[in-house]
Amino acid sequence: MQPALLVHPRGAAANPAPPPLRLAPDGDGFRVGHGEIHAHHGEIVQGMFYSSDGTVEHGLVTLPCTLFRTSVRFRPLRSGPLTVEPGDRARARAAARLTLDALGRTGWGGAIRIESNVPVQWGCGSSTTDVLATIRAVADAFGAVLDPAWIAGLAVAAETASDSLMFGPGRAVLFAQRRGRVLQDLGGPLPPVRVLGFNTEGEHGVATLSLPPVPYTLWEIEAYRTILGLLRRAVERQDAALMGRVATASTLIMQRHRPKRQMPELLHLASEAGALGVQVAHSGTVAGFLFAPGPAADAGIERARNGLDRLGVPASWEFSIDPAPHPADPS
Amino acid sequence: MIHASFVDAIALPRVVWLRPNLIGLAFPLMKLLPARFIVRKALEEGELRPGGLIAETTSGTFGLALAMVARLGGHPLTLVSDPAIDAPLKRRLEDLGATVHIVREPGPTGGFQQARLAILEQVLAENPGSFCPRQYSNPHNPGSYAPCAEQLAHAAGAVDCLIGTVGSGGSVCGISSHLRRISPDLEVIGVDAHGSVLFGQSDAGSGRLLRGLGNSLMPPNVDHTAFDLVHWVGAAEAFLATRRLHSDHALYVGPTSGAAYLVADAWARENPDRLGAVIFPDEGHRYQDTVYDNAWLEAQGARLDVLPREPVEWEHPHDGNEPWAFFRWGRRSYDAVMARPGAGPRLVPA
Repeated sequence: MQPALLVHPRGAAANPAPPPLRLAPDGDGFRVGHGEIHAHHGEIVQGMFYSSDGTVEHGLVTLPCTLFRTSVRFRPLRSGPLTVEPGDRARARAAARLTLDALGRTGWGGAIRIESNVPVQWGCGSSTTDVLATIRAVADAFGAVLDPAWIAGLAVAAETASDSLMFGPGRAVLFAQRRGRVLQDLGGPLPPVRVLGFNTEGEHGVATLSLPPVPYTLWEIEAYRTILGLLRRAVERQDAALMGRVATASTLIMQRHRPKRQMPELLHLASEAGALGVQVAHSGTVAGFLFAPGPAADAGIERARNGLDRLGVPASWEFSIDPAPHPADPS
Repeated sequence: MIHASFVDAIALPRVVWLRPNLIGLAFPLMKLLPARFIVRKALEEGELRPGGLIAETTSGTFGLALAMVARLGGHPLTLVSDPAIDAPLKRRLEDLGATVHIVREPGPTGGFQQARLAILEQVLAENPGSFCPRQYSNPHNPGSYAPCAEQLAHAAGAVDCLIGTVGSGGSVCGISSHLRRISPDLEVIGVDAHGSVLFGQSDAGSGRLLRGLGNSLMPPNVDHTAFDLVHWVGAAEAFLATRRLHSDHALYVGPTSGAAYLVADAWARENPDRLGAVIFPDEGHRYQDTVYDNAWLEAQGARLDVLPREPVEWEHPHDGNEPWAFFRWGRRSYDAVMARPGAGPRLVPA
């Protein structure tokens, strides 16, 4: 199997042509590679979904979050060890090794340096951003731009399950996190929305990769059909209100399997503040109230902030998602 | 796209506008969804072996759907029915390879229904490993309607009201349960026939002229807590509404669709700012010589120049004898509604 070194990103009609393939010379002329990616804020929906051949698969649609990001530098070495800093990021190191192999640089080493402000174990994809930014940095060192589907395969090989951040915010996809493949391209970005985020467990988190897959019931698996049908419409119409309903529906199913503290109070507060819906990290601790884009939601967000204070939630933050591609996502 | 089979190709409804705030879900044969899902799940769960016998008691469209699914899946099928089955349907079932067993004599108690069940049990006992779908109690019947809810959510977003006739409890209870995941406030209106036990009437003096909705026995699949409102529709009103659906909208459908349309059209006129969806379960070809025949209608006392009136509100399912009435069920259980002081005895057969 040959790696596709340089492939036009999916749905790239509006994107500029990819940069030319510039493989480093075999001497010491290679350069320091750089890779950057923003994190996510949990999921709009996560559950089990029918694929086109009638089988059901675990899948998710992530909510991108530009507040948190990971940046990686990779200095390749023609021979020698492959080191990572901070030293505990073994998955990033594994991803670098897999990427070097995929690029035909088996046996090469190098130095990986990770800088990240993504909270660990909150369900924001801290481990995945390490892995993805590392894959991008390694590829960049050799002047290669990898197809997102290839990156997905490398990421899952490196860390068992992966989020869909490699596809960027310009294209929402239903992603099989444990198979590393797109189950359904939703045909566009998620609708623009303002998010008031917080951590339901204070400053604590959960080790998401150690959690077993959720045992969804047959009824729940069927229910995800309706939820996904509504999300497709939300994306087609860029309708944030419908996306809010999708998020709340998925949150309520997950609440039966991995309950978040104070969820009844949070749902009540969201409704009082005029939020469109409540989203959660399905394997994590962050949650968010979704509000309509634009200043009309200012008062509601203020009300929700005050309500979170009263519920003893120590901190909250706000961000927006916007269909415009983010600079951290090369295209 | 090219579908894997004809059943897959026609299992979902055509979605059409009837008014600016009313969507029709027009199924060629709605029961294909539960028939397909029940058989698929029985195979997955090991209740049905590949090539194993399927047996069921039915004289309606569930039998036809089952015959199509069984034929394509390579399963022999035995259907136990009674003399009420119409000859063209029987021929069609047999053309699909089904064995149609007609019960000639009603049982000493429980009429034809009971006699059919007795024969069915005999067939099942004589064929070890055979499978009975039991559409009235199998939770995979309401469970099968998720693809329809998905289709509606994708096509229309969130609707405010779902209107449909109730028979086995599958379609309205199934579709609404899925839609309420995304619209907890969804209003659900069930449409029943007079002399049906589903919502508290007596089936005494049975022989309902309007078939395809209502029931003489209470199916476990009816979830009474799903319903906000229940309408009872007379046969003549339903037939006229069926004809109006055809003449106004070119929708050639059966009388169950007409009954649902009568109620849905009134709802849509009263709620111009809300969006409703109404279920039309089958096409009209079976009713060419009845509902679509003026002479037959007149012989039944259903005059085409009499337009359906507004419904009358009942205080209780037993009140009044108006041909078109409604009752605010209020998502209550059957027992909670019937427990009203002064209510008559529970009329569900044991």
